[in-house]
Amino acid sequence: MIEFKDVIKEYPNGFRAVDNLNLTVRDGEICVLIGPSGCGKTTALRMVNRLIDVTRGEILINGQPNDEFEPEVLRRQIGYAIQQIGLLPHMTIRDNVAIVPRLLDWDEERVRQRVDLLLDMVGIDPGIQGDKYPRQLSGGQQQRVGVARALGADPPIMLMDEPFGAVDPITRAILQEEFLQIQQEVGKTIIFVTHDIDEAIYMGDRIALLRAGRLVQYDTPDDLLALPRDDFVREFVGTDRSLKRLHLISVRDSMMNNVPCCDDDATLQEVTACLDRHHSDSAFVVDAGNGKLLGWVERPALVEYGSLSEAMHHAPAASIAVPEDATAREALSVLLSHSFDLTPVIDAEGVLTGGVSIQRLQDLVEEPGIHAAMQRERGR
Amino acid sequence: MIAFLGGCFASFGFFFLPVIEVKPNRLASGLPVGLLEIPGDMRYLLLFLLALTPVLLAFMGDRNRRGWALAAVGNLIVILTLYLPALAGSAYLVGAEALFEAGTRISNPRILSSAAIAFGLAGGGVVLFAGLLDLEGCGVPRLVRGLAGAVGALVVVAMLAGGTLDVYSIMVEYHSRGEALALRFLEHIVFVLVALAAGLIVGIALGLWASRDAKAEDAILYTVGIIQTIPSLALFGILLVPLARLGDLHFLSLARDWLLLAAIALAAALALRRLHTRLPERARQFSLVAVFILALIPLSLLAVLIIAFGFEVALTVLTTSELALLRSVTGLALILFLILISTGKRLDLERKLPQYRRWRFLPLFAAALGALLLLAQGAGRLLGNSELAELTIRDFGVSGIGTAPAIIALTLYSLLPLVRNTYAGLKNIDPAIIDSGKGMGFTAAQSFFRIELPLAFPVIMAGVRNAAISLVGIAAVASIIGAGALGDFILLGVNSTSIDQILLGTVPAVLLAVIMDAGLKVLESLLTSPGIRQA
Repeated sequence: MIEFKDVIKEYPNGFRAVDNLNLTVRDGEICVLIGPSGCGKTTALRMVNRLIDVTRGEILINGQPNDEFEPEVLRRQIGYAIQQIGLLPHMTIRDNVAIVPRLLDWDEERVRQRVDLLLDMVGIDPGIQGDKYPRQLSGGQQQRVGVARALGADPPIMLMDEPFGAVDPITRAILQEEFLQIQQEVGKTIIFVTHDIDEAIYMGDRIALLRAGRLVQYDTPDDLLALPRDDFVREFVGTDRSLKRLHLISVRDSMMNNVPCCDDDATLQEVTACLDRHHSDSAFVVDAGNGKLLGWVERPALVEYGSLSEAMHHAPAASIAVPEDATAREALSVLLSHSFDLTPVIDAEGVLTGGVSIQRLQDLVEEPGIHAAMQRERGR
Repeated sequence: MIAFLGGCFASFGFFFLPVIEVKPNRLASGLPVGLLEIPGDMRYLLLFLLALTPVLLAFMGDRNRRGWALAAVGNLIVILTLYLPALAGSAYLVGAEALFEAGTRISNPRILSSAAIAFGLAGGGVVLFAGLLDLEGCGVPRLVRGLAGAVGALVVVAMLAGGTLDVYSIMVEYHSRGEALALRFLEHIVFVLVALAAGLIVGIALGLWASRDAKAEDAILYTVGIIQTIPSLALFGILLVPLARLGDLHFLSLARDWLLLAAIALAAALALRRLHTRLPERARQFSLVAVFILALIPLSLLAVLIIAFGFEVALTVLTTSELALLRSVTGLALILFLILISTGKRLDLERKLPQYRRWRFLPLFAAALGALLLLAQGAGRLLGNSELAELTIRDFGVSGIGTAPAIIALTLYSLLPLVRNTYAGLKNIDPAIIDSGKGMGFTAAQSFFRIELPLAFPVIMAGVRNAAISLVGIAAVASIIGAGALGDFILLGVNSTSIDQILLGTVPAVLLAVIMDAGLKVLESLLTSPGIRQA
């Protein structure tokens, strides 16, 4: 646990980079510090491992003030990854990852095993890439090594200052996803600085929004989007905050189970009855044997052709349906592109399990804060 | 094209310029003889024709064959340019009396190599170079190319050793002055090495300071720049008086004063450190300068003493024959260490052999121990017999003329490239690298030795090479104030217009510069991480 208590950083010229910051980062959580440039987020981060000294107030690490440690001793217990990566160019990849363990005098065999494990974890082949030098690796690979190095001596706490900032958006998305998977395994307490609200929402368990050194709002991503405290927050998270919230909700949590649907061997009467019961003009058609989604049927076509088999539209499930583990945002995208009232939801086998409607999504983004619980379930 | 030029150059020299001058004695002017004027022998005509062949070979189509042909011809030109005139010269000397007017003093007659030989050597070298370029283009391995290029030089060395070329006047000089030459050469080397070592310590310290402290930055860089602009002769002169005074002092009294000064400076520094934050802004800067000046006096005194004494000790160590065994053991340990490190890197022993990681620095320790023993022996030899109370600073090698001002001036001259390159090397390191190191828990010292120094190393080494080469040159001037070294021959030569003597001093100096540069380059590539080596 990391606690900022009335932390102030004031420079000799009177400028306050951090002004009365109170913040608690719980164990195993990713706390994202975000804000416009010059808001003090990096300063706050660098005060934790005493790269910058606190002017007033204190920072507690697991209840112990961080100025009770020698700075070097403290830093060796805290993982540190920065945007510029800062790999040491004269050392091999292995030696770079081994830096902190060696500073801590681990024996060589243990260091070797740890390095192999970490490189594997971040997707770098220790056999092939391990003995290369940083300049021989791509930017994305270097950032992976940077993360592995920060995890070097298995520190309980990690400080990450835009660790994925130096790569292209596609690589960044991959790195973010992979890092969340790693975090699921290792469960570190992390302070993560970024200026990218999408990254904050995706990566953060909690987001601390700073402005001119002051904490404006500290909330879960969903609450931040749903209940912005003031105009500054509203403007910062963007006018598309509803869309961003949909990103946080999974289809499984937002779908309705009861959707108009009929077996492919149903009679005309049965189909009509189903449509009437749901007050709908169309229904999904599933395989009578295994429940897999086959296509859909519309009332005018039924009237025209007189039988389900002739009236139904066959369509591959993947093109009209969304899987259960997709985000609500993807469901919305499918809804918009097919002009359905209802997007079918299928499970991994292609069996129809429910549907998502525009109305339903609207309700979700209007209800403030109730999805914090769903957010918790998101994978950890 | 290059070969064409080389051929033209060599044959032009052979045709128009004298090859040799026959001199009746060391001082009289000689009788110039052209290559084609040498009577009665077709061999000399052949050399001229040989020099013309590259002009034709340059138009050969097949690159591989052209390369080999040019390399062969180039080597041949180099060898024959030295060999044939020597033969002719010997013939001339047999009947030397007949060549000159009656009454000319014939004593130790000699053959002075003349312009055509220089043209021939340069032209041959160019042809050889063109051939090697061709061979490189054809993908001939480096080792083979190196051998092909060295054939001529090796034959020349063999001829030198075998006495074939003894007829040339510079060799005559060499044979009469060989012993003195060896000593002066050694002095020259020690001059350069000691000045370089002292400059390295001071230079890296100053460079580090300049890179860390924005306030001191300009002052340091300007100061070392200004030192460089003082003519070396003037610097010797300036140092003359204070060093002469210093030399007269008794060691004990100086030691007492020095301790006093050092204690005052230390106390002032500590007090400033305490009071620093409490002083008003203006007083802070002023007091900083004051403390700096206070500290500078004992520090520079100490440096002067160490450098001058270090030079004497190093020279003693290298010239005392009783220490030959210890000397060679130390040298061997050092060579062993370099071999171990270079092969270890190549074979990746660090990971394969755990023992290697532990033991690789053992030879270095042995060499360091040997060096320490040697230094102690040298110091003992210099001071061992004197009474402590009677010891003057002059006994430590500090005096107005001689080696002390020379070595100190050399150290000062070496500072500019060393400080500038250390500063640039440290300043150019990406701050993110240092920040990440600090963030991972490197202490300041660890950061300097494990991150900054290795990264700045190639730049610092460039400065060391630069300094070494310029020191070889400046050391030659130092003999004006009686410091010895190769400059002695050059000065004598200039005073007596004897080109041979000048060459006798110059050729070893040039060789020394080239060898030091190459050696330092090898050292640099051995100790530079492949991760930052220029591709």
